[in-house]
Amino acid sequence: MITQSANLLRTAAKFDRPLLLTPAQDWSGWLLGKTGRALLMIITGTSVLAVLLIFVFIVREAWPFVQAHGLGEALSSTSWYPTRDPAQFGMLALVFGSVQVTFGALLLAVPAGILIAAVLSDIVPFRVRQAVKPIIEVLAAIPSVAYGFFAVAVLAPLMQEHLHLSTGTNALNSAAILAIMAVPTIVSVAEDSLSAVGRELREASYACGATRAETLLKVVIPAAHNGIIAAIVLGTMRAIGETMAVWMASGNAAQIPSPWWDLTQSVRTMTATIAGELGETPVGSMHRHSLFAVGLILLVVSLAMNLFTEYLLHRAKRTSGVHA
Amino acid sequence: MNIPLRQWLDRLFTSLAMLSVLLIVAAMIGILLPMVWRGGSAVVFRGTVEFRRMQLEQFNRGDSAAVRAEAEDAARIRQHAYEILDRFAAGLDTSELETKVKQLHREFGVQLANREIPQKQLSELRSVSKELRDELLKAFEAEDKTQVLEHLDAVMSHSGDERLKGTVAAEFFDLARQYRDTVANVDLRRRSEYADSLKQVKDAMRSLFGPRPGERLPALPIEQYGSTRWDQAKQNLDKLLWAESWTGSGEGQTLTKSRIPREEQFAGTALAGLFPYVRDNIQGMLRPKWTFYWQYFTDDSMSGHYFGGVGPEILGTLLITMFAIAFSLPVGVVTAAYLVECAGDGWLTRILRMCVNTLAGVPSIVFGLFGLAFFVIYLQPKLGLPGSSSIIAGSLTLGLLVLPVIIRASEEAIRTVPQAYKEASLALGASRFRCFMSVTLPVATPGILTGLILSMSRAAGETAPILFTAAVAMGPIPTSLSQPTRTLSYSSYDMAVGDKMAMLAPHNQFGMVMTLVAIVLLLNIAAIVVRGRMSKKLRGQ
Amino acid sequence: MAKDGSQGMSALLEPIALANRSTITLAEDIRADNETLSPVRHNDVMPAIIRAEKFCLYYGVKAGVKDINMDIFPQSVTAIIGPSGCGKSTFLRSINRMNDLIPNVRSEGTLYVNGVNVYDGRINLVNLRQQVGMVFQKPNPFPKSIYDNVAYGPRLQGIRGGRLDDMVETCLKDAAIWEEVKDLLGKSALALSGGQQQRLCIARALATRPKVLLMDEPCSALDPIATSKIEELIVGLKNAYTIVIVTHNMQQAARISDCTAFFCMGELIEYDATNIIFTKPSRKQTEDYVTGRFS
Ligand SMILES: Nc1ncnc2c1ncn2[C@@H]1O[C@H](COP(=O)(O)OP(=O)(O)OP(=O)(O)O)[C@@H](O)[C@H]1O
Ligand SMILES: [Mg+2]
Repeated sequence: MITQSANLLRTAAKFDRPLLLTPAQDWSGWLLGKTGRALLMIITGTSVLAVLLIFVFIVREAWPFVQAHGLGEALSSTSWYPTRDPAQFGMLALVFGSVQVTFGALLLAVPAGILIAAVLSDIVPFRVRQAVKPIIEVLAAIPSVAYGFFAVAVLAPLMQEHLHLSTGTNALNSAAILAIMAVPTIVSVAEDSLSAVGRELREASYACGATRAETLLKVVIPAAHNGIIAAIVLGTMRAIGETMAVWMASGNAAQIPSPWWDLTQSVRTMTATIAGELGETPVGSMHRHSLFAVGLILLVVSLAMNLFTEYLLHRAKRTSGVHA
Repeated sequence: MNIPLRQWLDRLFTSLAMLSVLLIVAAMIGILLPMVWRGGSAVVFRGTVEFRRMQLEQFNRGDSAAVRAEAEDAARIRQHAYEILDRFAAGLDTSELETKVKQLHREFGVQLANREIPQKQLSELRSVSKELRDELLKAFEAEDKTQVLEHLDAVMSHSGDERLKGTVAAEFFDLARQYRDTVANVDLRRRSEYADSLKQVKDAMRSLFGPRPGERLPALPIEQYGSTRWDQAKQNLDKLLWAESWTGSGEGQTLTKSRIPREEQFAGTALAGLFPYVRDNIQGMLRPKWTFYWQYFTDDSMSGHYFGGVGPEILGTLLITMFAIAFSLPVGVVTAAYLVECAGDGWLTRILRMCVNTLAGVPSIVFGLFGLAFFVIYLQPKLGLPGSSSIIAGSLTLGLLVLPVIIRASEEAIRTVPQAYKEASLALGASRFRCFMSVTLPVATPGILTGLILSMSRAAGETAPILFTAAVAMGPIPTSLSQPTRTLSYSSYDMAVGDKMAMLAPHNQFGMVMTLVAIVLLLNIAAIVVRGRMSKKLRGQ
Repeated sequence: MAKDGSQGMSALLEPIALANRSTITLAEDIRADNETLSPVRHNDVMPAIIRAEKFCLYYGVKAGVKDINMDIFPQSVTAIIGPSGCGKSTFLRSINRMNDLIPNVRSEGTLYVNGVNVYDGRINLVNLRQQVGMVFQKPNPFPKSIYDNVAYGPRLQGIRGGRLDDMVETCLKDAAIWEEVKDLLGKSALALSGGQQQRLCIARALATRPKVLLMDEPCSALDPIATSKIEELIVGLKNAYTIVIVTHNMQQAARISDCTAFFCMGELIEYDATNIIFTKPSRKQTEDYVTGRFS
């Protein structure tokens, strides 16, 4: 060993590299560090810039419409006839369409999503869970246009035939498709928050003689309520912002159905209106500005929901931190 | 509450929950199965001789001699069906016969003029010819059988005329004889009724076998071929063999569909023989063979997606996805690196995070609006590009859409690199930058790669952001980035609701969607495999 | 080999020998401080290679170590012992400034390495860490091949090609692992056993040609056989390097070290030649600890 190290001894005896920086090195290192950081900041700023630009350009394009008609006025009328003379831009029917379809979807997706999350976190063994999760991921990955295609090509004829409806593309169809699309979002967020509830809480409940259903419904889900509400809001966002599937499945009639709760009639959502009409509007026309105004409404709604979920998830993290 | 009830409720809850899992699994299967099954039939199906002929003529593919020989074989078998059809049609649709008779008369005149015969005989023969013509025309026109036979007898009375032997006029007698045969089997009073059905039969024949041999070739490729696929052929055969009619039971009543076999409809006529013949020989007429049409994924489409494949759509999707990733991957990874390695917990970081979350929550159609307003209308003219849809605008829009996905995945990946690796690297005298590049980044690569693949699948599937920025339903294959392109996602939409031709070929509609779903799911599976593989490698296996 | 090592150790245990070996002169501004605990008390100019003066390090408000005065001498093995949480690792990591990675860390006093205060703002961290190597408590090879692990440091210094190969081989031999891995150089380092991994980490640290090697409980995760291999290795390396080793194992400290420092509650209690610490320590606390009566 010593003989082996002998050669190292010669080279290793002294500190051969200066431990202090020369002033030039010091200065250039400082400069390099600063410029590197600045460069990083600039690249990192792309997301900030993107958000700003999105707001600026959507508002800029929507502004002439807001000035001429006012959003309040537009939202109080149901007659959407942008190509008539004189044009009418009542967006209420569109907003109603979005709300109706989204609400219908949530009615199906929320119970299903929470139940599935409960199954995954509390009921089935690990291996089943490993098998079900990829299925949820696949559902989340399928492109919305494929869902839309399914709605038009498979679901609509089935509905028309078996439910004896006048049209297969209607609010019910879109709601069903949207529900399937929203379930993965709801499941993944809700499952996270259910799993985050500590085992002690469950054990305490079981120890009091509660059944599994009672434990889940009365203890676990209330304890995880912040996360679950966040899951629902995120699912709502997914449903409201969805374009292709509802465009294809909803039947595209800009009307409030009568009676208003009737899901078997055709409706049209805000997103579908933009998708369907923007291509034909000339640059700078009021029609185009009005569509950007619809987009602005969507943007603001999604931003508000986003902030709300962030607040909820933040709170969920804090409270589960206390439990743990 | 009593215990049994509570237990019962517990069981009810559990079964409800399991039911919802089953429902979601059923939903996945119910959605994917028809797409894969019917879409798969765009690629694997029983192709007929018409398909091989189309491939040969339109795509210059296959063994020319073999296909021609096969087509001739098929044509021979079809020929008999056409003969039956002609025989029947002759009795029904006499316009052809009429023109033929008129033409015969003219030709005979010309023949006479070229012969050197005395003037008197000439005019005599002319009047005979004229008489024959008129009698035949009357026979064709008459609806009463006895009348027809009278006129035909009048014609035949001249058949003994020696002067007409060996001239064109002799054909008058052939026509008369033929027509007598035809008339023997046809109820002439039902002529107009037959005419409609006959048209349907002819249409069905055309859609089965394409234009008749010898007929002038139609201009559109879609009309040049019969049923190229066996499933299509079976549908068309059904139209040939069955007559469908809608009958209303009364005023304002819903119509009910009824089907009667055409064999019955045409019972007792010459045509009745056609149907069993076609039914029994359809295999020989079309020669279906299992075909694996892999070129579906590379071929351009023809006649509005009626024939051909989805090659340009796949190319467009890949192009847009690649460029979107090329933009957002570097930006995303750098942002993530900054968030983990440099940023503390200051207000700047918080704003950054908020922006990333906001970006992730913006609806995709709003990205589309933004892409149109900013990239297409605002930026492109400034850069000297046309202010219209382009690959580059679509890619950038999609790039912004997937940016949060990449940032989140990369951040997670970089954050979970064990501190021990970083410490080891720094303790060996690496600068922070070298440490990041040589240790942190390689270790985080699987995670980043997973995020990358997932965002590729997202970008490939999104439609709304490229509606106004990059996609067109029809158009040439792009040659530069400032041109729009077809994409799988948009074409799936267009074929489902916009493209009339595609609706005639549902397998192609499903095939397009299947291709899109397959690409997206393959990418997802790749992500899962990469994740598993690399984590195994990190554990030293 | 062990015999050679023990001979070397007994030779080094003589303070005179240490002084004679002195190759390093301290910078002028560092005066010998009588308060500085040192196993060698009769020299005015200390040949210390590492010297702490009133050194304190705080995690936020909590002190990791406080008021450390200590000299560490070149080409010797210095052991640091003490109960868990007493600041051994903290002190060790202060020497090559690995504590910089932890947010909210603050230091007071001075810590000289080769006569340079490492908490000077102008310190060249890269050169410092290259010359003051570190082996961690848990083996932490990179998830790369064995070869790449050892070559990591030299590559940072721009060494490539055949010279790199030679260097990898030498270092693996010095770390007494060459025979085991010479056919597996391309294999992942994570596939090695814990003991092999630790020796690989030592080889990796040697490959940067450090002058000082800091070892934080290098044997804590190892079985006795692997431990004895590493101990042999340390003894063998002492001729070329200055080694500072943290250990919980009294026998180990007694076996391999020349000097021993006893830390408690973030303070340096006693620092002397190893045989003195283990036979006639001057502080009651030290005695309790080394005889196992410490509570
Ligand atoms: N990253 C840190 N942040 C805050 N406090 C820390 C950190 N690391 C160590 N400490 C504190 O500093 C003190 C000294 O820790 P150190 O790791 O130096 O102990 P140690 O002597 O190495 O113990 P052990 O023998 O268990 O390794 C401990 O009380 C510990 O709580
Ligand atoms: Mg320690």
